[in-house]
Amino acid sequence: MKKTIQIPLGSQHISLLEPIRFKFECENEKIIGVDADVGFVHRGVELACTRSFEFKQVGYVVARVCGLCAITHSLSYTLAVEKLLGFVANDRIKYLRMLMVELDRIHSHMLCLAHTAENAGFEALFMQIMGDRELIMDVQEAISGNRVQFDYISIGGVNRDLTPELVALIHKNLGLLTDKIDALIGLFDNNWSLSLKYKGVGVLRLEDAYIYNALGPLARAAGLATDVRAETSDFPYEDIGYTMILESTGDIHARNFVRLREIVNSIAMCQNIVNNLPVGEIQEKAKGKPNGEAVVRVEAPRGELFYLVRGSGQNMLDRVRIKTPTFSAIPAMMEVFKGSEYADAPAILASFDPCMSCTAK
Amino acid sequence: MFTSMLEAFLNLFRPIRTHQYPAEEMVLPSGYRGLIEYGIDACIFCDKCEKVCPPGAILFYQHEDGTKTYRYNPWLCIYCGECVRACPKPEEALWQSETKQLSALKEEGANEGWFVWEEACKQSREEYAAAKKSAKIQNKSEE
Repeated sequence: MKKTIQIPLGSQHISLLEPIRFKFECENEKIIGVDADVGFVHRGVELACTRSFEFKQVGYVVARVCGLCAITHSLSYTLAVEKLLGFVANDRIKYLRMLMVELDRIHSHMLCLAHTAENAGFEALFMQIMGDRELIMDVQEAISGNRVQFDYISIGGVNRDLTPELVALIHKNLGLLTDKIDALIGLFDNNWSLSLKYKGVGVLRLEDAYIYNALGPLARAAGLATDVRAETSDFPYEDIGYTMILESTGDIHARNFVRLREIVNSIAMCQNIVNNLPVGEIQEKAKGKPNGEAVVRVEAPRGELFYLVRGSGQNMLDRVRIKTPTFSAIPAMMEVFKGSEYADAPAILASFDPCMSCTAK
Repeated sequence: MFTSMLEAFLNLFRPIRTHQYPAEEMVLPSGYRGLIEYGIDACIFCDKCEKVCPPGAILFYQHEDGTKTYRYNPWLCIYCGECVRACPKPEEALWQSETKQLSALKEEGANEGWFVWEEACKQSREEYAAAKKSAKIQNKSEE
């Protein structure tokens, strides 16, 4: 007689935000095998980028791959095309781009923390964090002119400049948020359902993180020092006070703490950027047509985002390849599930912060 | 537990955090990216806005006498502002306003009407180009 039982999670499930399906092979309550299917929201973005749109328009197309990290997608694509055109942005453009990416990281991490809290049965905290997240959304809306689809970065620069009123708004909202994050850190450390319940659940060991190529907060919570911001030199992150956040235990609690401490770090970086903004033009001419192949890595909120762009000196590109952080982290995710209880699966899944619309694109 | 009960009690007297939408007007921030607006008097019909528009929400209909008619689909537009940046006369011929587009009604034909218009624009271009070509050939043969 067969001793295991198969339980599916998804593609529609009460704890899921987006369609993903896991098939768990369970022995009593223990998960011993996992199978994942992620392609439920495929939209054919990569093909559309090479068939229907010219290279100057593709930046706006790839921004629509994901609602949360829209700015990271358009930034990676723009960097790749600028590499092909031989264009080097000035410091002001770089700083403004960094500002938007860091703001994006703050609100994406807050969304993940809110869902982790919700999965612990803590609905009120979910509402509270989502309410606090509005502070950042307001700043982004004021800077870029839209709440979700920022369309802020274009080839050759950024589309809008910071005004003194915006700078005042950024300082005000980031100041308010700092106090709230401090309170959240205390809550995530001391509250029973958020700390004790999550300590030792969904552990990813350091060796497994190496073997299964974990990335982003998932890897940093296990103690694996990997961060594209420290590895590449596209942006001057060292100048604005970037520090690598590492934890050692690799469980859900550690992932929450990596996110919380990264928010604190990102707030400090945003304040540094706004205080030390260099002088210069925000939009410069980038002439020519992309010829050749460029590879760009950018640290999205969930980990490394990889773009490959290939052109042959024409308006249409030959190939746009997008490798998103969630896609790369699936092997590590499946490893984490093995050996844990089935009842913990939704909470573990929420702690990965999976983005299915990115992954299936 | 005592602190949380105190918090819960105090929350009764704190202001509401959510926005009371139908009762209160939603305020858009200044610099909100809204509808693209067009001034026919300043337009030089260079078609740059039509070429750069990512979704193709701006189209020009080519008349037989060489003039063109501008048409814009606010429901297809993604409000990126690329057309305004491409425009040689921004603020006069094409600019981005701060008004928000409401949802389309059935009578406005946001999809079907636009498909008809797209087809008509494409056809008018082809006919105009063909007429020009034949006129050129005729001129040459006369010479």
